[in-house]
Amino acid sequence: MSKSLADQVAVIGVGCTKFGENFDQSLSEMMVEAATGACKDAGVSLDDVKAAWLGTFSPSFSGGKATITLADALKFRGRPITRVENFCATGTDAFRNAAFAIAAGQYDIVMVVGAEKLRDRPVRGLQREGIHPYFEAGSTAPGIFALVANRYMHTFGMQRDTLAKVAVKNHANGALNPKAHFQMKITEEQVLKAPMIAYPFGLFDCCPTTDGAAAAILCRADLAKQFRKDFIVVRGIGLAVMSGKPYLDPTGDYLGFPSTEAAAREAYSAAGIAEPVKEVDFAEVHDCFTWTEVSNYEDLGFCKKGEGAKFIEEGRSSLQGDLPVNPSGGLKSFGHPVGATGVRMIYEIVTQLRGEAGARQVKGAKVGLAHNLGGPGAVACVVILGREA
Amino acid sequence: MKGIVGHAARIPAYRIAREEIARAWQTSSLAGHKRAVRFDEDALTLAAAAALDCHSSLGGAEIDGLFFASTTAPYLERSNASLIAALCDLPEKCSTLDLAASLRGGISGLRLALTGLDSGSSTTIICAGDCREAQPGSAEEMLYSDGGSAIAAGTKNVIAELIADATAYDDFFDAVRRDRDLHVTSFASKFSIDRGYIAPITEVVGDVLRQAGKSAKDIAKLAVSSPDRRAHQQLARKLGFNEAQLQDIQFDDGGITGTAMPLVLLSIALESAKPGDLLLVAGYGNGADAMLFRATDYITSYKLHSPSSVQKAVAIDYKSYTMYRRAREFFRSADQGLEISNVFYAKDEPQIVRLHGSACRHCGTRQFPVAQVCVGCNKGDGLEETPLARTGAIYTFSEDTLYPSPFPPTVMAVVDLDGGGRIYCEVVDVAPSEVKIGMSVELTPRKLKEGGGLYHYYWKCSPRRGK
Repeated sequence: MSKSLADQVAVIGVGCTKFGENFDQSLSEMMVEAATGACKDAGVSLDDVKAAWLGTFSPSFSGGKATITLADALKFRGRPITRVENFCATGTDAFRNAAFAIAAGQYDIVMVVGAEKLRDRPVRGLQREGIHPYFEAGSTAPGIFALVANRYMHTFGMQRDTLAKVAVKNHANGALNPKAHFQMKITEEQVLKAPMIAYPFGLFDCCPTTDGAAAAILCRADLAKQFRKDFIVVRGIGLAVMSGKPYLDPTGDYLGFPSTEAAAREAYSAAGIAEPVKEVDFAEVHDCFTWTEVSNYEDLGFCKKGEGAKFIEEGRSSLQGDLPVNPSGGLKSFGHPVGATGVRMIYEIVTQLRGEAGARQVKGAKVGLAHNLGGPGAVACVVILGREA
Repeated sequence: MKGIVGHAARIPAYRIAREEIARAWQTSSLAGHKRAVRFDEDALTLAAAAALDCHSSLGGAEIDGLFFASTTAPYLERSNASLIAALCDLPEKCSTLDLAASLRGGISGLRLALTGLDSGSSTTIICAGDCREAQPGSAEEMLYSDGGSAIAAGTKNVIAELIADATAYDDFFDAVRRDRDLHVTSFASKFSIDRGYIAPITEVVGDVLRQAGKSAKDIAKLAVSSPDRRAHQQLARKLGFNEAQLQDIQFDDGGITGTAMPLVLLSIALESAKPGDLLLVAGYGNGADAMLFRATDYITSYKLHSPSSVQKAVAIDYKSYTMYRRAREFFRSADQGLEISNVFYAKDEPQIVRLHGSACRHCGTRQFPVAQVCVGCNKGDGLEETPLARTGAIYTFSEDTLYPSPFPPTVMAVVDLDGGGRIYCEVVDVAPSEVKIGMSVELTPRKLKEGGGLYHYYWKCSPRRGK
C-alpha cells in the first residue's frame, strides 16, 4: 500500500510578482522577485534551500527552457534544479514533484518557482508547440476549447450569457487584487458585445497573455513550526494525463475533461474528502476560458455534469457564495503566464488560508483547492491545501 | 469494348463577377462570373478532387493508371500525378504520368490512355486541372477560369464507347508561358483564332467524322474547348453544328478552364447523354485532338458522384478584386512546415495522404491516425492499418478568428468518419453560419501550408454533395 502524501509537507512561504504586461522586467528579474519574496515570507535564506523545481513552458531568450535559467538568475548553484513542463499544468506539477521530494525525506527545505514571459513574443495568443504539422494544423488555444464548449452547449443548451457571468465574477474578484493583470469590473453586456475570438468565446471569455512569476518554499511538516505558526499543509495532490489529441479520439464524448475528474479523485482520496462541495472552502481553478470554469465545477465534483450553468447562475461560486471559485480573479483576471499560473494558485491559496487576502478574503477558509488544466484538457493537476488545525 | 467508364468535373466554390475585375482596372467588362480558387486550392487539388469523385463513382474497380494534365502544375519537378494517385490511395503498381505545357494535355492524355488500352487492361483515370494566371488587367484575366476534371478510361462497364480518334500538332504560338514567366503572354487576335483554334479543330473533327462515316447532323453533342465564347460559336457554325448540338461552355459561371476544359465539357455532355448518342469531344492547344464516342446502354446504370454542370454547384462570391487576388497570393510569402523532412513525410504518408487509420480486431474501434495500441480497448496486438472513409458528420466545431487566415474565421471541425475514425480539419466552401453539429461532410484535399520548398497537402471538409 502506497504511503499517503497527506500532512507530510508544509508550505512556509510564498512570493508572487505583479502579473501583467511586465515590459520592464526580464524572465530572470521576475524569478528573482518571486523567489526572494518567498524566502523572505518563509524566513529562510536561499542557502537554506537545498533543491529547486522550475516550472516554465516556453523557450525564452534568457536560457531557454533549461534549469540554468533559474540557476543563473538566482546564482542558485551546486544544488539540484529540475525543470518541469506539463502544458498549462506546469506550475502545479512542479509543486507536486517538489512535495514528493520532501515527503520522500530527501530534503528538508525546497523551492518551487513558476515563471513565464509571454509578452515579449511577436505572436498573439499562446504558441501551439510540438503539434503534428498535419493532424493538428489549424488549432489555437481558444479554438480547441471552443470545440468542447460548442459540443457542451449543443448538448446541455447553455447560452453565452451564462459564460459571461463567469467573466463578470472573476473580473469583480480581480478588481480587489493588487497583483492581478486586470483590476477592473466588467458587465455582462461588455462580455457579450466584445469582439469574437472563437465562438462561443469573445475577447472577455478568454484569459489574457501575461507575464509573471510565483514561488513557494516547502518544508517537512514536522519542521514547519520552526519557521512560522500559521504554516499550510499539503492535504492531497493528484495528476492525470489523457489524450493530447482529444479531437482525434473517437471514444470521447467531449463534454468536459476526464483528466480533471481523475486528478481530483486522487487528490480527494489522499485528503480524505468525500463531498468536495461541503469540504472544500474555496478553489482556484483553471478558467483559461469562461466555459472551462463551468466544466471545472462539474469535473471537480462541485456539481453534476450539465449543472455547471446553474452553479454560476445561482452565485454559488462568487466570493459570497458557499464555494467561492477564483477569489484571486482567476486566469481570466489575474492573468495566465503558463508555467507561473499553478504556483500563483498555491500563492493565492496560502494567502487566503492565512487570512491575508484583504478585500478578496474568503471568510473562515480552512481548505483550499488548486486546479490546473493543460493542453486541450490533456493534463490536469489538483492540489489541496489546508490550514494546520 | 473500350471507352469511358467514369467522369467528374470540379470547379471551385468561389467565383468573382467579371465586372469586379473590370472595376479594379477601369476597363470594359465581360459578362458573368469566373470561377476562382480559394487560397488553399490549386491545379493539383482541383484535379485530385475530380479524380476522387470519379474514382468513387467506379464502385471499387481496380485502377492501374493515373495521368495528370495541367499547364499550372504546382510541382515542376516531383510527380503531381503520383501525389494525386496517393490521395486516391491507388496501388503502388499504378502507372502515373504528368502531362504539361499544352491546353490539350488532358484530352491528349485521354486519347493516349484509350488508344493504349488492350482488352486485358483495367482502368486509367485521366485528371486535369488548371489555375492559369493572366496578365493583371488583361482581358484574359476575366476569361480564364479555374477548374478540374477527370475521365476514367477502361474496358469494363463502359458508358461511352470509343468509335474514332484523331490528332494533329501545329507549332503555332497563341498563348505562351515560359519557365520564368508568372503570367501567360497572350497573342489574341483574329489570326490566332483562325490558325490556332478553328483550323486544327476543323481538321481533327473532319478526320474523326470521316473515319466513322458520320456527319455533323449525326452527332448528339459536340464538346469542344475554346479560347472564348465568340470563337466557340464561330467554330460550331463553320463545322455545321446547331446550337442544341453544341455543349454550352457555361461561360456565365466559369467557362475557360484551360487544360481541364475539354474533359469538363465531356463530363457535362455525358451527364445527360442517352444510350446510342454520339458524342464528339475535341480540344485545342498547339494542334488538336478529337474523339468520337457512342453512349452505351450501361450509361443509364452509371451513378455519377455529383453533378458536373455548374448550375448545381455551390457559389460563394469574392466581393472584391482584392479578395480574389489575396486568395491567389496568400501562400506566396508563407513559410510554414519547415520541420517536415522527407523522413517524416515518408513515415506519415499513409496517414496524411492516403488517410489510413487503424481498426481493432478485438473491439472493432476504427481510429485515426495509425495507432499501435487501441484507443477503444487498450490492447496492443489487434490493430490493422486500414483505409478510412472520406465522408462523415461534424461532431463539434469552432469558428476561430485568432488563427491566421486570409478569410477568417477559420472553421475547424471534429468529424466522425462514416464507418469509424475521427479527424480534425477545416470546414471549407460554406458560410460559417451554416455549419452545424451533425452536418454531413466529405473530405477534400487542400493545400494546407507552404514552406521549405514544398506545398503541404492535407484533408479539409465541405458539405457533402454526392450520395
